[in-house]
This record gives sequence, structure tokens and C-alpha cells, in this order.
Amino acid sequence: MTAWELASFPSELMGDVPELEGVRVDVVRGGDPVRITHVLDAVEPRVRPDGRAAFPTEGTAGEGRTNRLDGVVVLSCLDFPAEERPLHEQESVVDLAGPGAELTPFAADTNVVLTFGAGNGLGNEELEAWARSTTLAVAEDLARPTLDAASVDVERFELGPADESLPSIAALMQLSDLGPLYYQYLYGVPVGRAGLPRAVDPAELLDGAVTSGEYHWAGLRNATIVFQRNALVRTLYREHGRRLRFAGLVLMRGYEQTADDKQRAATAAAEAAAALGAVGAVITTDAGGNSHTDVMLTVRACEQVGVRTTAVVAEMADPGSTSSGLTDWVAEADSIVSAGNAEELVPAWTPDRVLGGDTLLDGTAAGAAGPIPVRNYLGATNQTGQHALTATTW
Amino acid sequence: MRAVHYLNQFFAGLGGEEAAETPPTRLEGPVGPGRGLAAELRGIEIVATLACGDDYFGEHEEDALARLIELLEAERPGLLIAGPAFGSGRYGFACARFSRTASDRLGIPALAAMHEENPGVGSAEGTLLVPTAVNVAGMREALPRMARLAEALVSGRELGPPDQEGYLPRGFRRNRMAEKSGAERAVDLLLDKIAGETRTEVAGGFDRVPPPAAVPDLSRALLALVTEAGCVPQGNPDRLPTIRAQGWLRYELGGVQTLASGEYESVHGGFDVTLANEDPNRLVPLDTVTALAADGRIGRVHDVFYTTTGNGTPVASATRFGREIAAELRDAGVEAVLLSGT
Repeated sequence: MTAWELASFPSELMGDVPELEGVRVDVVRGGDPVRITHVLDAVEPRVRPDGRAAFPTEGTAGEGRTNRLDGVVVLSCLDFPAEERPLHEQESVVDLAGPGAELTPFAADTNVVLTFGAGNGLGNEELEAWARSTTLAVAEDLARPTLDAASVDVERFELGPADESLPSIAALMQLSDLGPLYYQYLYGVPVGRAGLPRAVDPAELLDGAVTSGEYHWAGLRNATIVFQRNALVRTLYREHGRRLRFAGLVLMRGYEQTADDKQRAATAAAEAAAALGAVGAVITTDAGGNSHTDVMLTVRACEQVGVRTTAVVAEMADPGSTSSGLTDWVAEADSIVSAGNAEELVPAWTPDRVLGGDTLLDGTAAGAAGPIPVRNYLGATNQTGQHALTATTW
Repeated sequence: MRAVHYLNQFFAGLGGEEAAETPPTRLEGPVGPGRGLAAELRGIEIVATLACGDDYFGEHEEDALARLIELLEAERPGLLIAGPAFGSGRYGFACARFSRTASDRLGIPALAAMHEENPGVGSAEGTLLVPTAVNVAGMREALPRMARLAEALVSGRELGPPDQEGYLPRGFRRNRMAEKSGAERAVDLLLDKIAGETRTEVAGGFDRVPPPAAVPDLSRALLALVTEAGCVPQGNPDRLPTIRAQGWLRYELGGVQTLASGEYESVHGGFDVTLANEDPNRLVPLDTVTALAADGRIGRVHDVFYTTTGNGTPVASATRFGREIAAELRDAGVEAVLLSGT
């Protein structure tokens, strides 16, 4: 495997945000009394000194060196035209202060908020494509001044030889392809057409190979920044040669649409893990419901071929009920990390400013909304293990 | 604050097994363990003790509860405290059921005390339970714990986690920040599992519904359409939620053979409804079943369909919807249901 270096630069180097037709730009900081609504994606500014694209659609990521701006996040916001709304209930909130602030840890950073207008007659899919490509381009532009600056830190990602007696552990990461506005992309290709399951160099994931155009429940979906800063892949790199050997990363598809396809995908993912020589796998989730079934079937398929598993899932337990918050479960899933209960309510909070849109999808004013469920906070119950939120039994 | 204390016949001093058939009885002030409890309570006075024989409660549960609730209400208490029942199953069951019922019917905060393996724990349904030792030797330890939780319960503040407040976990899932990220915890759990120690942060376990017997003769059966796809008349007149529906809806089909586009839509929040709205029959396959009925392969199609949004629905709610819909269908003589899921 090749080595990849990630160089960090201070946020003060952030470049100017260019004037963009139809896009409002605001720069706000963690702790500001600001609520950001209708958030599509969150992206860390990155650029490559060798001139290759930071979010490549050709070639291979995870090689050479990439520069990152530390402590800066680009947030894209878009309130899709209601009459064309393809999927109901997809509120996505980031609070920079108040009780919800700790639910989206990147809200501690400097946030460059791009609010895309919807008044130019484009359909939802065209609007989304415009917002997504613009957001990635802005993220790249913001990092450009790092090319002439000195880095404050360089991390090297390389899997060297490790003690053969250590257990060999793979990461099985689920990506979504549920149709328009519910795609994640591998090198710019919707993952349903990207030949999944597929083993990739884990550094590819950290280096922009996977981007998100998936706007399901905010708390449970994986924004682009979750892949760029992925805590699971980073943990496995760090532990490689210490407590384990990092066998590799398998990207697999969630939201398979038929029972046969679901079983086939689960079996193929398990075989891919076994082919890496893994004796254990951490299995992660994107979004929920349907995709939880894909995770559970993958757990079963892995255990059946001798790959021991731990799955990461969010719970959806009614706060007033003692019934299970798991959407699906198999008996083989005896080791589960809870990413928190997405249905818990976050107390009401009144921001001084609202960006992204003044009205929440349920029609309430974003600045004076009552309690908001955790699931509406972007990344709150992230099911790749990005954050520390968990649920315990009371 | 006025409190009522519940005891069984033995701890109330009414007698042992020979008095187990004693019906609900009111005693003035604190009695037996209630005296020790009263000494621990700050700002709470035990104004009366209610007692019932263990066998009487078990054999006449509804009557016993009705009478106990009547006696309780007359005291106008702000709190009910039951037990401690330690490991005694019949006593623990009565403590749990009375506490639960007092909260449900009168809105009176209640707590009971018993051993964590007492069968009564399973009947508590969210009632606060103070864990105790398995037998009466744990009385001295139990009473201060009950008093502390009683004081917390009536203080009006939100209760903290079980280990901090001293109650048995009730099954509610509450969020907190862990010390490590989910990723680090996942790696820890997996390495421990490979080393032979399997742990989980979420217990699984669902009931599995066995498939019913086959319909004996579909060509004579009345078939109904039920869906959780959020299919409703255009405009969603009854405001079915897109997620976490609290109930279900029933719509007359009016003898039509197909669900026309523009007359029905899906408000389900869990999938892209574009294609479904182009042809609502793909959610509720009325066109197909009426064709099958015309061919004689299905007896008749029920002229009413049932719908809800199956999206983020707690299992308890879904179970209730199913029971309620099934009862109506059975009353209507429906013998077969085509349930379209999404």
C-alpha cells in the first residue's frame, strides 16, 4: 500500500469566498448564537499541492499529499421547492450554541455557510447537483492559500508490517444509493453503479474519494466531512501494529431494494471482508430503517463465514416508551455500539440569527421552534462512530 | 407532602399466610416498616397505610386495585410508596401493579421497592423501583434509599440516571456523551469479543411473528388491502404524519377498481415517493386485486383500505395499530389481507 500525507494548516489561512450568483455566503463561528437550517452537506476545505482534484472523479485518492484547513467547515444549505419535494421530513439543523451545539461537533469550527437560492426555475435534482459541485469547489478554493504556507502538522497514513499474532480487523462501511437526492458518490459515481462491495485503500476514504449527496435523516446520515475525518478509519490506522492489524476497508451499499439483493449484498460484503483476511469487522450504517436491515444481514453473513462483528447503529426509541429502539436485529448481532437515540428531544432554544432558511419543514419558525428531535441535527447520531453520543437505559 | 404507604398483610401486622386473603384495608399513619421509613423522610408525611393480603390481590386483582385506588384517592396524597417487597413475588407484583395503576389512573407519583429479580419487576412498566436485598435483612439499607428517591420524585426536578438516583433501569433509552467516540468503542468491543468477552451497548431481541395458516380457499375469501406506505387521498385531509404516526386511517374505496394518480398520494417520509405517486396502485395494489377478483382467483375485495406511515414507528405503537386494524377486519369478515410494506 502507498503512503498518504495529510498536512494541516491554521484556519487563519482561509481564502476569500468568491462571489457566487444565487448563493448567499455567511461566515459564523462556534459559540455564535446562530441556528443553520436545511443543511445539505458539510465539507472540510482541502487542496492538493500536486494540482490533482481534492474530490477526484478520476485517478486515485489517498496518495501523495493533501492540505487541509484545520477548524473550517463549509456548510451548504438549500430549501428544496416544496411542490417537488421528493421525500418528506428531511430537516437538517446545525446549532452553533445552545443545547444542540454539542450534537454536531464540527459546529465548534469556523463555518462558511452557503445558502443556495431555489428561485431560478431549476428542478430539485439540478439544484442539488449545482449546490453539491459548488460546495466542493468552494471547499477547494478556501484551502488554496495553504499552497504557499507552512503546515503546522503532517500526519502520515501508511499500513506497514505488523505483528502477525495481532487480530486482523476490517471496516465495512455502508454507503447509500436510494435514488435521486439519496446518492453517495465514489469518485463522483453514485455508489449503486460503483461496483460495491469493493475493498479500497482506507486512505482513499479520508482523501475525498467518497462524497455525499444523500439527504435522509440528518442525524443518521453521513455528510462528506464524516468520510474526510472518519474516526473509525483513523482509529484503525492508529491501532495498527498495536492492538490489531488493519486489514482494510470495504465499501458496501445500503438501501438494496429487494430481499434477494439485500442478502446477495450482505454475502458479498462478508466475502470481501474474509478475502482481506479479517477475523473481525466493524460494520457501519448510513441513514436508517431499510439500511439497518442491510447492516443486520451483513452482521449475520460475516459471522457465518467466521468474521466476528461489531455494528454501529443509532436507536430510534420513543422517549416515552420502553420498547426497543432498534429497527431490525438478528441474533448474531451480539455486539452493537449505540450512536445514541435519534428520537430524544433537544430542549427549545432561541438563536439570535437563523441562516439557511427561516422556516423549518414542519412549518414552524426556525428561530422560535420548540424542542427538536436529535435526528434533525446533522451528524448527531452518526453511525460510523464519528462522535461520542450514546444511549443508556434509564 | 402527604404520602400513602402500601404493605402486604404480613408487614402490616395483620398476620402471616393465614391472613393472605385479607381484602384492602386502611390503617392510620405509618405501620411496621412505615415507621422506619417515616423517620427517614424529610418533608413527606405518611398519613395512612394501605394493606392487602398477597393472595387476595393475586386472585382478585381488578377488585383489589379498584378498592385500593378508591382508598388512595380519599387520602389526597402527593405520593405513593410501596414495599419493600424484597424477593417476595406475590407482594412484589402487588406493589408494582398498585404503583403503576396509581400513576396511570390518578396521576400520583409512585415508587416501589423490591429485589431486582422479583417477578414484580416485570409488571412495573416504567414505575420507579428501588432495588433491595432479596430478604428482610436488607430493610435497614432499603428504607433510606426509598426515602431519598421519594424526596427526589416529589421535588419537581428531573430525575437523573438510575445508578445516580438509586432506581432500577426502567428501559427508557436516554442519550449521554461517552468518554470515547463510537469508533473507538466499536474497536474496543470487537477486540474484546474476539478475545472471548462479548459485550453490547444495545440489547436486541424482537418477538418473531409466526406466519398464520394459509387461507383455505382464496377464490371465496374477502380480501382487504392494508399498507404502511403512507397512502392517503390527495392533499392528506386527515393529516397523516410523514414519520412516527400515532395511529392509522381507514378510507372507503367507493367501488373503484384502481387508485388514480392525482387522487391518492404517499406522505411517507422514508422513501422517494415520486414513482409511487405516479401510480398509487403500486402502494395499494387495488388494480391487481380487482383483476384477480374478476378472474375468480380472489372472492371479493373489501371496499375499505387501511393505511398508516410505517416510518420510525416504535414497536409498541405498531403492535397496537395491528391489533386495532385486525379487530376491525375480523368484524368485517375479512379472511385475507395483503399488507404492502415499504
